[in-house]
Parts: sequence; structure tokens; C-alpha cells
Amino acid sequence: MSDIEALNEQLAGLQEEALKAFSGATDLAVLEQLRVAYLGKKGALTEVLKGVGKLPPEQRPVIGQQVNAVKQALATALDAMESELAVKAKAERIEAERLDVTLPGRSGPVGALHPVQQGLDEITAIFSQMGFAVAEGPEIENEFHNFDALNIPPEHPARAMHDTFFVKGLSSGENAEPMLLRTHTSPVQIRAMRRFLEEGHEPPLAVVAPGRVYRCDYDVTHSPMFHQVEVFKVDHDVSMAHLKGVLKHFLSTYFEREVDIRLRPHYFPFTEPSAEVDIGCVFCARKGCRICKGSGWIEVLGSGMIHPNVLRSVGIDSSIFSGFAFGLGVERLVMLKQGIPDLRLFFENDVRFLRRMGS
Amino acid sequence: MKIPFSWLKEQVALSKSPAEIADDLIRLGHEVEGIELPRAAVQGVRVGLIEAKVPHPDADKLSLLKVNIGEAELLDIVCGASNMDVGDKIPVATVGTSLPNGLTIKKGKIRGETSCGMCCSETELGLADESAGLLILPADAPIGMEVGEFLQLEEAVIDLSITPNRGDCMNVRGLARDLAADANLPLADINSQTAEVESTVQAVAVSVSADSDCPVYLARRIEGVKLADSPAWMQAGLIMAGMRPVNGIVDVLNYVMLYYGQPMHAFDADNIDGDITVRSAVAGEDFAALDGRKLKLTAGDLLVSDASSVIALAGIMGSEASGVSNSTTNIVLESAFFRPARVSETRRTYAMVSEASMRFERGVDPLMVATAMQQASLLIQQLFGGQIGAITTCGDAAAIHAGVRVRCAVSRIESRLGIEIPESVDAVLRRMGFGIERSGNTIDVTVPSFRHDISIAEDLSEEYARVIGFDAIPEVLPSLATIAPARLDRSIHDAVASGFLQVVSYAFIAEKEQRLFVPADGNDISLENPISDAMSVMRRSAWPGLMNVAKHNLNRQQAGVALAEQGRLYVKTANGHAEDNVLAWLMTGEVARDEWCGSARNADFFDLKAALESWLAVRGLTGRFIADDSIVGLQAGQSARILVGRVEAGRIGKVDGDIAAAFDIDTPVFVADINLDALPEGKKAKFQSLPEFPGVERDLVFLFDKHTTSEAILNTVRSAGGKLLNDARIFDLYQGKGVPEDKVSLGIRFSLQAADRTLTQEDSDAAMHAIIEAVGKRFAATFRG
Ligand SMILES: [Zn+2]
Repeated sequence: MSDIEALNEQLAGLQEEALKAFSGATDLAVLEQLRVAYLGKKGALTEVLKGVGKLPPEQRPVIGQQVNAVKQALATALDAMESELAVKAKAERIEAERLDVTLPGRSGPVGALHPVQQGLDEITAIFSQMGFAVAEGPEIENEFHNFDALNIPPEHPARAMHDTFFVKGLSSGENAEPMLLRTHTSPVQIRAMRRFLEEGHEPPLAVVAPGRVYRCDYDVTHSPMFHQVEVFKVDHDVSMAHLKGVLKHFLSTYFEREVDIRLRPHYFPFTEPSAEVDIGCVFCARKGCRICKGSGWIEVLGSGMIHPNVLRSVGIDSSIFSGFAFGLGVERLVMLKQGIPDLRLFFENDVRFLRRMGS
Repeated sequence: MKIPFSWLKEQVALSKSPAEIADDLIRLGHEVEGIELPRAAVQGVRVGLIEAKVPHPDADKLSLLKVNIGEAELLDIVCGASNMDVGDKIPVATVGTSLPNGLTIKKGKIRGETSCGMCCSETELGLADESAGLLILPADAPIGMEVGEFLQLEEAVIDLSITPNRGDCMNVRGLARDLAADANLPLADINSQTAEVESTVQAVAVSVSADSDCPVYLARRIEGVKLADSPAWMQAGLIMAGMRPVNGIVDVLNYVMLYYGQPMHAFDADNIDGDITVRSAVAGEDFAALDGRKLKLTAGDLLVSDASSVIALAGIMGSEASGVSNSTTNIVLESAFFRPARVSETRRTYAMVSEASMRFERGVDPLMVATAMQQASLLIQQLFGGQIGAITTCGDAAAIHAGVRVRCAVSRIESRLGIEIPESVDAVLRRMGFGIERSGNTIDVTVPSFRHDISIAEDLSEEYARVIGFDAIPEVLPSLATIAPARLDRSIHDAVASGFLQVVSYAFIAEKEQRLFVPADGNDISLENPISDAMSVMRRSAWPGLMNVAKHNLNRQQAGVALAEQGRLYVKTANGHAEDNVLAWLMTGEVARDEWCGSARNADFFDLKAALESWLAVRGLTGRFIADDSIVGLQAGQSARILVGRVEAGRIGKVDGDIAAAFDIDTPVFVADINLDALPEGKKAKFQSLPEFPGVERDLVFLFDKHTTSEAILNTVRSAGGKLLNDARIFDLYQGKGVPEDKVSLGIRFSLQAADRTLTQEDSDAAMHAIIEAVGKRFAATFRG
């Protein structure tokens, strides 16, 4: 056998051996070792090339070409194998990283707004969007704002019905009138109107006043502290029809459906005419159920046209301006909307209740 | 107030059922609390005996009955039921009877056969919601007896809550007047008979000195009455109306009051010493009231006295000594008009409410004063005999409330209601007693003597509204004003967003719980009339409330709670009081629980501090936390004041262990509060361009004296780090093996960056050297690497 033949044979053997080794490689590290073993600086192919020097010069190019061809073939095979192994390795990694996606997420604290706060926010927002300005007032009030200015003089029988908490050691005015916890948000009417006039404005004035109120009454259906929202508007030619329009819009927006409203004549010293407002029962579509006591109607708030004495007490001329006012109980509306059966749940603050009602 | 339905029917021939009348009353502005028991509704239904039964010739589901109701002739009745037989006793609604379902029985023909009544089921009698066939009565039911009586049905009683402006409706007559006017039915005349006066009976001598408080006073003697209990019908009526029978005279007077609205009083004439005087009290006068109370009267109280003592607090209560009993034979009757505000003030002074005072306070009808006297006298004589004396009258009833008129433009009422008021409606108000003259747009109204609540146009608008019906008023949305929207207070929302549950607790707490967190300084605001000791003082800290909520929940298997509350704190100040708006937090127990990916961990100071820092950061604020061992209720060494800008804005810390234990809480409790009113306005963020060149991070570790605060260290390194220092933060804190006991090892990570270039090694080396040097100068610290 000539040298060239021996070399050719050697090259062919090498190629076959290498390709076999490559295809047997199980991972990229082994493949890299094989690359070094065959194609590296001290690799098998380099060894073969050393034999080329022994050949006659005219034969060298021929064998050189063949060595290159083998080198090329091995490199291609290596690359192919490498990408095959990379795909396989990735697939294995993905499989190894497979999760049980049904396991619960890492728990973190979840807060919730109190349902009364949610109610206050919703109610206030509805009136804000209708152009009512938000106002607040003190919870510890004097008798003037809570009663007298609202046309409830001391001898008035309605005054006794308010179950008023009085506070010790505070007094107001020259006569050292006792101070009390406001029994309704209506005093904000007086304060807001006065402030408005003092700032030099003229009606129209439209106000929504949310806040805490207090009654000395504590049983299953009464809480000594609860939340009210007072709403009023004073302008030229404000009528009961406007009152009904605003009530209808508000109640339908709040309950997220068109509700029927019914006004019943009633008596409040600070409004004339006065009306209790019922909504068509949201539980039975007015067919009569346990919650509406079979009547199909649920009382939700008290309303009326602001009494001229109230306007007079703040210096608004009732022959030019008129207004409507109403006050609603937040807890009551939230109970109706969310189906909460018991007033006491609001003030017990059981976190299970708060979390459940949080959305 | 309870009104037996039959009493109303005596005054006006109502054909409607009690439930329908209740609806009418509601529409007219009288709140109906309920209707009790349906006796009147089955008036006219009697016990009948079936004597014959044959099938209807033309309808196989009907029977022809001959029914004996105790009258000469048997009734022919066509009946559709099948559960009855000859010999059964059944309820028969006779012709003219109105049943609770609204059906009125008429004589008529059913499929050609005459029917003179109707046999009834329980449903038809209003006794049950469902029934199968006729109600078969027991065999011993007396033929012809009213079924209501036999079944001992109590009469229908309407329970009303009369509003304070409608004193005129605190009686049968007044309600009947509204109903009659509304239904356009006549109101019964009042018996105009007057009692025959015996000249032998002396007139009562009366002098009224306080005539502005008592514009009319009538008195009369009745002698020789033989007192007995009032008759059963009267007692039954009183009981149904919610009053307790007392004795014959008192019962008659109560009956007259319930019926006509005029409260009266009776004295035992033999226990009165001389003449009667109506006058204002002298301060300190003694009065021994009927209810056993002994009062010292206040100057100005209106009283009735004889020559030696006070015999009544006018319009409120009589004296014990002058009252009538069943042994009384001679009486003095009183009927008067007392000024409402006077009665109200005295009633409030002594907290002495009576049926009489409620009516006088709301104003009685001056024209009823004499009528009631006549009615009561007649009833007394009729029931208990006696000779009646002449009436002594002081004052002129007709002058009270005379000529109260309201003149106004019709358009004024119309624009207030948002609806037209047709002239036809005037007729209803006329029937209610108003005199009405219309001329063009002007209306001139004379107010009846019993309506003390009407004096201005707005009052009239309510009368028109209730007569026309509120339902007739349209719903009109007024034009909307546009206003600057209020800045929403997001305080509690932001606390909730970081994982806290909002709670709402009472503004009043127990004083002893207040003392746990607020020292006694005389500035508490406490309630005059608290619900209980636990709710007796206005809170000056939200923490006691939060502690109670935590306790409530930890007692219910909660492993931890994170709570927040927004509300006011109340405190006395030099010139009154203040109500500060605060936000408060509480954390205790587990903030992380055992789970597949982690293990449980209890809340610590820094959990809550993080919540406050992020809450402040959202508002563009940062707080300085200044260690303060003097915060009442918090544990020294784990409590701090929070300074925002120059404002003392809040506090944070660990609740003293003994206090927590007092609330049955055994995990460490952390609380904080922020005074929202004191908090400065945060800065709205301004844009800054993002850095273009990469920054470098370098770490340094020092040994510091244990008591050196991280705030002081960071302040020092920040000022030494110069312009290139972007941030410095403590990444490692170590005490223990390898660190001397009084030292702490702190690792600080610096991030350095320049706006205009990439930093070089020299840049950061220089900064680090400056920092190391500054720390060495400022603290007894050792540089470790
Ligand atoms: Zn219902």
C-alpha cells in the first residue's frame, strides 16, 4: 500500500470512527470533548495531517483537500449534533422545571374597605357626579345647629324623639348651651349654607355631606353610632318634582337598576312638605316578601322641601329661593344592597365579615 | 296610638277594610305601624245552622242551602263549597256585610237562584291565608251570634304613629275627619244633647291668673255619683286602644279623650279645699303627684290649686290627694286649653309624660273644650247617675286660634310642589275644615281651630300635596351644576391597598381603656347619658378600639390581624373642643403563615413601619422616626414619634405587654397613628431624566458602637459621599460571634452614579475613602472591609 493509500484509509477510518462517536454523545459536555479529541489542536485529524509531510509534494494538495473534506464533514456533524443535544437539553430542563400550577400563590396580606366606607364612597360619588359639593361638619355640635336652626325649638316634641347624647363639660354661646353628639347630618346644612353666604356666594348651592351621627338607642336594629349622608340643594324654583327626580336617579344608580320610588307624607320640622321615601322592594320586585313585610315597599330615607324657617336662620330669602333636602342612613342602604341581615355586623368588625364584604 | 277600627266607623261610614283604610291613612300622612286583629272586619258575619241542602238545578258544583241565623225566616244561600252538611254550623255573611277581602254581600241571584248571604271560609273572614272549604263551627255555637264575638276575635285595631304636627289626629274624631274628607263621606254629628243642670249643685268657683298659659278653663261639679267600674264595652275599647281601665270616672275621661282629643281631669270634690285657682307656681312649692312623686315646683310651672295645696300640674298630672277613687261621690270635672309650650317645658323639667301632656303639647282644639265637658258629663250621669252642676267658664275658647288665615299665590304652592293644583282639590280641604277662597292666582285660607301647624304658604303646600297625593308629582331631574370636584381623601384606601382591613369602631370607649393610652389631664369629653361605662367617653386614641377588634378576632381563631381605621379623636381645648381626623393601624400575630412555599412569621415593628413608610411615600412624604420611650401605652425601646417635615404627625410602637395581656392578646401588638389634619401636603412628583450612564455599587462594613443609630450613620455617610452618591442602605446587620458584645457590624451598600459620564475606579475609590474617613471621625467605628 502506498503512503497515500494508507493515509486515505486512515482518514476514512477516522471519519467513520468520529461520526460514530459524535452520534453516541449524550450531552453537550461529551460532545465538546469529542470536538477537542478530533478537531482540536492536538486532535486526531491534526495527527493525520502530520503524515502529509511525508508525501511527495505533488500528492500533498490531493490529500490536503481530503483532510479538509473530512474536517468539514466532522464540523457539520458536530454542529448538527450540538443543536440536537441543545434542543434535548432544553426539553429536559423544561421538564425538570415543570410546576403544579394549581398550588396556591404565595400568600400576602389582602386589605379591604369596610362595607360602610364602600357605601359612603359610592353614595358620595353619585352626588359628586351630579354636581353636589362635598361638605363636613363637627360631630360634637351645639343645640343651635342640631335643633334650633333646623326649626326644632326646645319645646318641640320632635326634640324628645331624637334620643340625644349630651356631653359633659362643654358648652356653647352666651347661655352656655349644652353640647351634644349630632343626631343627624342636617346641621351641616346650616353650616354649609352659612359658610357659602359668608364667602359672598349666592345660590344655587348643592351639597352632599356624609358623616357619623349618634342616637342614644342600642338594640338589635339600632346602633348608637351610624352614618348618614345629607343632601340638599337651594336655588330658584326648586320643587318637589326635582326632589323626586334626584331621588329616583340616585336610588336607581346606587341599586344598579331602575327602582320605583314612593313618597309618603310625613313630618320633619326642617322640611315642609316632608316625605318618607320608599323604594319598590329590591328583593321581591314589589310582590311582597319577608324583608318588605309583604308591602312591596322598603323605607329608605326622609326628605322634603327645606322649611322657610331653616333658610331664614341662615339668612336666605325664602321668597326668592327654595330647596330640597334629604338624609339617608348609609348602613341601611348597604344592608339592602349587599343583603346584610344584621346592623351589628358593621361594628363587630369580624375580619371574616370584612374580608367577605371587601369586594 | 291605637284606634279600634269600629270607633272610626262610628264617625264615618267607611266601606273599606282596615288594611285599605291603613293605606289611605298612610297616603294622608299618618304612619301606620300595623293593624291588629280583625274583629270589625267580620261584623255582620253570624253563626248559621244549615237546615236543608239541595243541589243547584243548573250548576252541579253549587248547593242551595236553607240557613237558620236565629231570625224568623231561614235564609236561602247559594254555596259553592262541598264540605258542609245539614246540621253543620257555619259563618254566614249577611247582606250588607263587608268582608276583609273587600267583598260586600248583596242580595242577588246566582244562576237563577236567590242568595241572601254567603257562607264563609277562614280566608274570607281574614283569619287565614289559605283554607279548604267553609269554616265549620262547633256544634255549641249559638245560632245568630256574631262570629267575631263567638270566636272572641279581638276587633281590628289600627296602630298609628301620629307625627308631632298633627295633634288634631291623636283621637278618633280627627282621623275620621281626614278619612271622611278624603272619601267624600259625611262625618257623624257630635251628640248635641246637653246635660240637665241641677240648680242645687253649686257652680265651682274658679279664678285664672295665668291666663296666657291657660286661656280657657272650664269646671263643673257633679254630685252623688254612684261609682262603679266602667261598662265592659268601654273597658274593652280602652284596652284595645292601649289604655288600662282605672275606675269609672277616669275611664270615661280617657274614653272622651281618645274619642274627641280633649284631655280632662276629675277631682274628688270632697278633697278640694275651697276655690280653684289656675296660676303660675312659686319656686319651691310642693306637689305630690298621682304617680307617687314628690316635686318641688319651678317658678313658672302652670298649676291648679285649691285653698291649701297644689291639686294638679296643669295638663300633666293631678295630685294624689285630690284624685277620684271608687268611693268618690262628688266630683269636679276640668276641661281646659293649656298653652302647648308651657306644658312641654314642665313635662321636660320633670320628665313626666302623660297621655294628657302629649295632647296639650301638640295643641288641642279650643272649640272641643266645652263639647268634651258635655260628652263626659252625659256619659258619667248615664253610667253612674248624679246631679250635674253648671259649668264655670273662664276665658273665651273662640278667641284662641281665631282667624288664623294664610293668603298666598297659588303659583307659589305650585312651584314648590312642581305640579298644578286644580280648584277641585279645594273641596277636600274644605271638608277637612279649611275655609278657602280663590280669586285668580290668590288663595285665602282660614285655618280650622284644631290645626295649630298651619300658618304659612309652605304649610298649605303640604296640605295640597297630601290631598292630591305625592304620586301625582312628576320626577324631574334638575339641571346639574358643574363644580370643582372635591379632592378625594384616599387615606384609608391607601392603607387598605397595603393589606390592612378597615374597621369602624364606636367613637365612645371605656374611660379605663382611654387611660391605657392617654394620661388623665381633665381634657376627656365624656357623655352625660352614656349607653354604658364601656361607651362613656369620647376617644382620644383609636388604639383601644383597635385593641378590642384585635381581641375579638384573635378569640375567633384568627392567627393574626392587620387593621386600619380612620376616624376622629375628640378632646377639650382651651376654647372648646377639637375633632382630629386620624388614621390608625394595628398589627399583631402572623403576617405570613405556614404554607408550601414558606413558613409563618409574626408581625414586628418593621412590618408596620414599612406600611407607614409606603403610606407616606404615596403622598410624596417621608417620615423621620424618632425613638421615644415616653409614649403612654407603648413599650420603651420599640416606640417612636413620626416627624413629617417639622410636624409631629404620628406615633408608632409596640403595645406594652401588660396592656396587650389585659386584652387577652399574647402575640406582640404594634400600633401606629397619623394625625391627618396635621400632616403637611406632600410634594407632587416632578419629572427627572433617567440616568444615561451606568452606576457602580460598593459595599463597606464597619463595627459600630451598639447604640449608634442607623439614621445618624446614614446621615454621615450621605453627606460624606458627595454628589456621586445616589443611595446608601444598610444591607447587613450582625451581632454575635466574632463581634464584641457592645458592638454591631453594619454592612452598607453604596450606589454611585454621575449624570454625565461613566464612573472610573478612581471616582468610586475617592468617594469610599471620604466616607471611611468621615465615619471614623464621627463615630467610634472600626472599618472592617
Ligand atoms: Zn319584598
